Amino acid sequence: MSNAIIEVNQLRKSFGSNEILKGIDVEIRQGEKLVVIGPSGSGKSTFLRCLNFLEIPTSGTVKVHGDYFIKPGGKFDEKHVASLRTEVGMVFQRFNLFPTMTALENVMAAQIKIRKKSKEAARETAEKYLRKVGLADRMNHYPSQLSGGQQQRVAIARALAMEPKAMLFDEATSALDPELIGEVLNVIRELANEGMTMVLVTHEMKFAEEVGDRVIFMDGGVIVEEGPPKEFFHNPKHNRTREFLQKVEH
Amino acid sequence: MDILKSLDFATAFKDLYPELLRAMGTVLGATICGFILALVLGTLIALGRLSKLKWLNRLLVIFLEVIRGTPLLVQVVYMYYVVPLLVSLVVQFWSPGYQLNFNAFIAGTLALGVNYGAYLSEVIRSAITAIDRGQTEAALALGYTNKQAMWSIIIPQASRIALPTFGNYIIMMVKDTSLLAFITVSELLLRTQTYASQTFLTIESYTLLAIAYLILSLPMAQIVRLMERRLRRHV
Repeated sequence: MSNAIIEVNQLRKSFGSNEILKGIDVEIRQGEKLVVIGPSGSGKSTFLRCLNFLEIPTSGTVKVHGDYFIKPGGKFDEKHVASLRTEVGMVFQRFNLFPTMTALENVMAAQIKIRKKSKEAARETAEKYLRKVGLADRMNHYPSQLSGGQQQRVAIARALAMEPKAMLFDEATSALDPELIGEVLNVIRELANEGMTMVLVTHEMKFAEEVGDRVIFMDGGVIVEEGPPKEFFHNPKHNRTREFLQKVEH
Repeated sequence: MDILKSLDFATAFKDLYPELLRAMGTVLGATICGFILALVLGTLIALGRLSKLKWLNRLLVIFLEVIRGTPLLVQVVYMYYVVPLLVSLVVQFWSPGYQLNFNAFIAGTLALGVNYGAYLSEVIRSAITAIDRGQTEAALALGYTNKQAMWSIIIPQASRIALPTFGNYIIMMVKDTSLLAFITVSELLLRTQTYASQTFLTIESYTLLAIAYLILSLPMAQIVRLMERRLRRHV
């Protein structure tokens, strides 16, 4: 057994006749921070959503902690897929907090419903993670009473409270006003420093270089180039990577 | 002028109000039971229509068209006189001699529930589809199954959207209980008609009838408005 947390093998995904992912192979090791970048339509978001099976791949396999979402040749088993999803936390571009619940209830809900924890235990865990993301004083606020940055931090706490083995960030700061991006990046940076395994789809190149252990550049549904951030950002090998980096830097 | 002079609301009120009070109980009972049935049925139909099963969808659409294409009065009469016969016929295959009898109140309440269930299902369905897809995705990512996400995340939000419309339907149902008079349920209309024809206090009787309905529906409208304000705060 390798120490891979997520293993992706020959992943393909089509929507109708439109092939978005054309055979992706990736291994994400324990504690690794993998950054995925690429132009819009490159398939990077679809790739990320395949890692917790929010998109069901057309072919290929995804393993989390050695366990397949669907075994090769096997059938889709919703209960198994759902239970494996709890091992991978996800943070969305648009936060997707539950609007009828307070911040605390948002973080407690899945612990009670899915992890079958008692209310008291769930509350304790929820408070711990809300404090961690700096929202100790906002626990009883509803999402509509919170800023975008605060909402996204609640969303991060909600994912962390399930104590996942890895975290996926799908352009977690793209929907935020510029002055609110920093507070969310700080939380993600802190998580990274604590050794959380994570996959980040992002447009924040500076942050990617600072936090990432490895960068993948996707275009047209394939991985064009990958490498350590220093090399990737300062000495890219492929023309397409160079073009892309020039465009986003200016 | 003679008519006005001979108006006798005092007598009509004195005679009618115990009857009307009892009849208001019937109306309230039929509305509450009918509406609960309609909610359950409407939710199930909505979920069936949202499922991927094509045959179920088609079946439900036919059912909805039948309900929407026939008058409620016909459905009430049908539920009282025809449905028990049909059910008895089918059950008699297994147990000969079986005879189903609805009393008029049950038949009427069932008819109201089925009819309103059909209309509510469309309200519920559009409320469910109005919820952002991201809500389901967030729940799935946390390990909810589709069914769990639907019942504990989506439906609570959708019901808040649907609530004001539900309120209108409850008030409509209060008024539609008057149709149960046709199958001998002694609700407000039937009681009043009987009294009016015996005493010729026509204006008085029917005015009191209208007021009795207002007494039932106005507070309901108010309650719905209050609930709406409370529930919609954080949608």
